[in-house]
Amino acid sequence: MKKLLFTVLSICALFTACKIDEPDKDLKRIVFDPGDLKFISTSLNTQKETSSALYGNSEALSSLSSENHQLKNGSRLKLVTWKYHDNPQYIGGTITGELVSIETVQADAEKVSYQIQNIAEGENIQTDKEERIRYMMSYEPVKRP
Amino acid sequence: MDSVKKEITVKPIAIIVLVVLSLFAVLQFFNKPLEGKPVVKKIEAPREVLAILENSCFNCHSNEQNLKWYDKIAPISWAVNKDIARAKEVLNFSEWNYSAAEHQGKMYAILNMMQSGKMPLHEYTLLHPSAKITAKDVETIKKYTLSLSGVASGKKEVKNAQQNIEIIHSNPPSSKFPVSPNGITYNDDFKNWKVISMSTLFDNSIRVIYGNDIAVKAVETENFHPWPDGSVIVKSVWKQQKLPNGEVRAGEFINAQFMVKDAKKYTDTEGWEFAKFSGNDLHPTGKTASFAKESCIACHRQLAEKTGYLFDVPMKINTERLIKNLEK
Repeated sequence: MKKLLFTVLSICALFTACKIDEPDKDLKRIVFDPGDLKFISTSLNTQKETSSALYGNSEALSSLSSENHQLKNGSRLKLVTWKYHDNPQYIGGTITGELVSIETVQADAEKVSYQIQNIAEGENIQTDKEERIRYMMSYEPVKRP
Repeated sequence: MDSVKKEITVKPIAIIVLVVLSLFAVLQFFNKPLEGKPVVKKIEAPREVLAILENSCFNCHSNEQNLKWYDKIAPISWAVNKDIARAKEVLNFSEWNYSAAEHQGKMYAILNMMQSGKMPLHEYTLLHPSAKITAKDVETIKKYTLSLSGVASGKKEVKNAQQNIEIIHSNPPSSKFPVSPNGITYNDDFKNWKVISMSTLFDNSIRVIYGNDIAVKAVETENFHPWPDGSVIVKSVWKQQKLPNGEVRAGEFINAQFMVKDAKKYTDTEGWEFAKFSGNDLHPTGKTASFAKESCIACHRQLAEKTGYLFDVPMKINTERLIKNLEK
């Protein structure tokens, strides 16, 4: 009887040990959807280990292409920032990982609005809106044929 | 009576041994010896690095084979010769006609292959246990490879300038977009696609990777074993440009790299075709139509198998909740 009980318990223990642990079952590979905006430029902050992509509409692109970088009416810009990591598949490379924030600037008649969405949990950084708008306006569109 | 029985049992075994031996002997008539080639330019590296490469890699990846006797006997020799031919196509330490930047790139590829345990091949070290590499060997290779940063960048530009001239001559001015030797045509539709990820590499480049709708859907649904036909990935590469405050932006354009999926068409390269268009004239890389088979796919095949032979697939690191927040 004892032997049988031991066997049954052992089998039960085996099943509990085989419980499939899926730590990444809630994790996803995501691609940011900028809607009707297009990629304009990119940057890397090696101190914060972040990488950003700047998206904008045609007015935003033309604003950033102009010499004085004045925000034209109707401009819409989004700066999407990601944390980057060493590339797990290649030593010597980095790749974007967690989405950190999405900043949006919109220029309507005589008014420029700024919004920030902090994605990382617990993040509630006070941002100087004017400074961030100036920063986003400092980007040059990437150069390529 | 006993001896008769013995004769009867021994005979079939003897016949089998004889047949196998004669078959073996016949096979040797079909044993084509490996074609000997001279050492054109041997790789230059510190003594300790060369020692590791010579011990673990040279037998397949050079013109200096030091094969064991059993490697030369058919049918083993057939597999060995095939492996050596393929290995030398990808990397040949005896024909090391590379610039400093190319040398650095090759060393990173070697380091990644060793670190991930993909090279030397498991089936090779089974028969040649002395070729196994240790953690200390990998560390030596890593230390040397990382020390190459900075040495490479200077000479690279000179070579690029030379390449520009060659390509301008070979590209008829009438063609609207440049065409890679394997038929992939440059097209700037990708500028309207979604950015799937951003990356950097040891060569101080900054990269933005685009995917067409098929590829984006494949990433989001993790449907890349295999990637669906029609997937196209384009990587736009620039030099890193440092601002006075230390931030890095995209500087001079280096190249645009294409990967196009068609399982039926590109059977030698895991269903992917590769193309690279460099400089402002977008001159295509490669001398022959099969250049990707000899260069690109080797690393992608060994190191990026988990993500369908593609590096720079977005990491599986963001939560479902985040996506819901984004959708709000």
